[in-house]
Amino acid sequence: MKHLPLIAVLAASPAFSGVEEAANDYILPNLAKFSETARSLNELAQANCEAETLEDPFHTAFDAWMAISDIRIGPSEHAALSISFWPDKRGFTEKTLSRYIAEEDPIVADQVAFQEASIAARGFFALERMLYDPDFNDYAEGDYSCALTRALTRDLAVQAFNLQAEWADFAPTLLNPGAEGNATYLDASEAQRAIYTQLLATLEFTTATRLGRPLGEPARPRPTRAEAWRSERSLRQSLLATEAAVDLAHALANSDLPETDAALAAAREQADTITDPSFQDIEDLTKRLNLELLQQRIEAVEHAIEVEVGARFGIAPGFNSSDGD
Amino acid sequence: MKRTTLTATALILGAVPAFAATKGEVLDTYADIGHAAYEDSLITARALSGAIDALVANPTEVTLAAAREAWIAAREPYQQTEVYRFGNPIVDDWEGKVNAWPLDEGLIDYVDASYGGPTDENPFASVNVIANEQLTIAGQEVDASDITPELISDTLNEADGIETNVARGYHAIEFLLWGQDLNGTDPGAGERPHTDFVQGDDCTNGNCDRRVDYLQSATDLLLSDLEEMVAAWDEGGAAREAVMDDEDQGIIAILTGMGSLSYGEQAGERMRLGLMLNDPEEEHDCFSDNTHRSHYNDGLGVQNVYLGRYERVDGSLVEGPGVSDLVAESNAALDEEMTRKLDITMAAMTDLSDAAENGFAYDQMLEAGNEEGEALIMNAVNGLIDQTATIERIVSELELDMIEFEGSDSLDNPNAVFQ
Repeated sequence: MKHLPLIAVLAASPAFSGVEEAANDYILPNLAKFSETARSLNELAQANCEAETLEDPFHTAFDAWMAISDIRIGPSEHAALSISFWPDKRGFTEKTLSRYIAEEDPIVADQVAFQEASIAARGFFALERMLYDPDFNDYAEGDYSCALTRALTRDLAVQAFNLQAEWADFAPTLLNPGAEGNATYLDASEAQRAIYTQLLATLEFTTATRLGRPLGEPARPRPTRAEAWRSERSLRQSLLATEAAVDLAHALANSDLPETDAALAAAREQADTITDPSFQDIEDLTKRLNLELLQQRIEAVEHAIEVEVGARFGIAPGFNSSDGD
Repeated sequence: MKRTTLTATALILGAVPAFAATKGEVLDTYADIGHAAYEDSLITARALSGAIDALVANPTEVTLAAAREAWIAAREPYQQTEVYRFGNPIVDDWEGKVNAWPLDEGLIDYVDASYGGPTDENPFASVNVIANEQLTIAGQEVDASDITPELISDTLNEADGIETNVARGYHAIEFLLWGQDLNGTDPGAGERPHTDFVQGDDCTNGNCDRRVDYLQSATDLLLSDLEEMVAAWDEGGAAREAVMDDEDQGIIAILTGMGSLSYGEQAGERMRLGLMLNDPEEEHDCFSDNTHRSHYNDGLGVQNVYLGRYERVDGSLVEGPGVSDLVAESNAALDEEMTRKLDITMAAMTDLSDAAENGFAYDQMLEAGNEEGEALIMNAVNGLIDQTATIERIVSELELDMIEFEGSDSLDNPNAVFQ
């Protein structure tokens, strides 16, 4: 950065960086949408906690969350973990919910205490268990499990509201890189890199984890490792995440991305060949192949974004939260 | 070790420029530190092996305590090597053999009833090979009548491709020395009695002969695994050569190791996630309650490779030009920022470690609503995240960030990825 001529410094000013578009046109409105849908899910749950009646609003809120679920900067770094704790490699969600139910833990009556609960027993994946797992969803008004479901939707609505509020505080940091006192983003390129890292991480997580975990080894598929398979959202999760990355790429690039759009269209087309949206049929080799092809199509979206956004604007990704094991 | 010495002429002329550390010198130091740290891991693991032999020969509270102490001592240098993992496939592909975690310990030995049985993810979570000479794993009959290093490495470890079937490495040995920690978020480690290793009628919890076989076999494996990695970092070794092969890629590997360990692995997966799960099983060294030292030494390893300085277990120093010297030459303020942030993280790690050593166990810090524990952990997490931002700045400063693009098939020929 030290030898940049003046013209390059001007070009890197916020007006051209795409960060403003990413924040104002994408992240903030989608946070608002998530907050609204989570509130509405909770209102319906407080009126009627029964599992079946909550399925539609559950999907609506989860869809809204997927637009921003893999963004892990600012307040989302912490919040995303308690809104959607997955993968759960050691079965913590099942264990913790079972314990609450067996002990009729009074935590469900105390919303503030619930905020301190294990993240395994909070958020969408705990709620999914309560609504879709036959071992959990057979409850009625007056049962402990009804109160637990209500505690979960209430907590989710509060989390969504808080996240939106925290982002309102954080947005100026992202939007004013290099401003006095901004030690997080020292110049526009750092804010740009932060957004770019998020959208690539979404795609990597989708191919490696959302699809890679259930695919397992060729001779040993693991269908119950699919994300949100109980609510039959597995395919939807991967598609929504891919779309989110492409939308964010458009905002950041602020221009046409024909290769990226074509790659996304190809991924959608491949998704149409998948007959079980929860991937439970991938023991069948032809079904498995369709899923592997989807994985490749989504990898192609990532490569297209690297070409059309990364290489074109000279942005390289930073470290992301899935860089560990 | 290879620090440039000023020549007399340079001193006389008064022309003492800042050391122009070359990338090659920085890589030499990096590989030397790696070699020394793996060698220290091997030396201390041999001491552990000796202590385990003494325990087996004469199981008493004293010999068990000595074996535990030797395990804790062996972890100190090993954790400082973790910074060599990420970004270096030779290390990362090997690492699962020695430090895989978390484990479903019921695969190995008896567990408390509260542990539960098979899970959705792992049907073999409670197989208990020490108690069972015949096993069925993924439809295959397994003869486990002799517990040998081969049985552990070829059949049990990652049985059926499941990551939590950790049958070897430090944490398997840790479980055998301490047993389960059943204290929840209260203080206290595992309390396995020394009589679990006594042969004959005084054996507790059954199968003491097989337990001893397991413990010694797992320890033998650890030694041979560490020998492999010491050789890999020796002159002409594969890991050293891989780093030296291309200087820019070598520096990228150093910075990738520092950033990936700091951020995704340590700040995220190990520390923040464990805190948010409030689960003492999410402690990295949960049986021994040594998690605070693991975290501390992971942090220290990052600082070591940046500064180009490692203090060996015998107190001697391995030092030479570090990444710090490269950065300082290009941007002194950025080097100062990195050095300062590493100090801040290590101060937070020291607070955390001191608190645990003084009786505030890591388990207790994880308890829901324990604000003091949360603050100790989150200070370290925030330090790690903050230093990662500076590592990214260093990647840009050294103009290494666009190198990945060069020579990438997909970028030279976008259509390649659609074929």
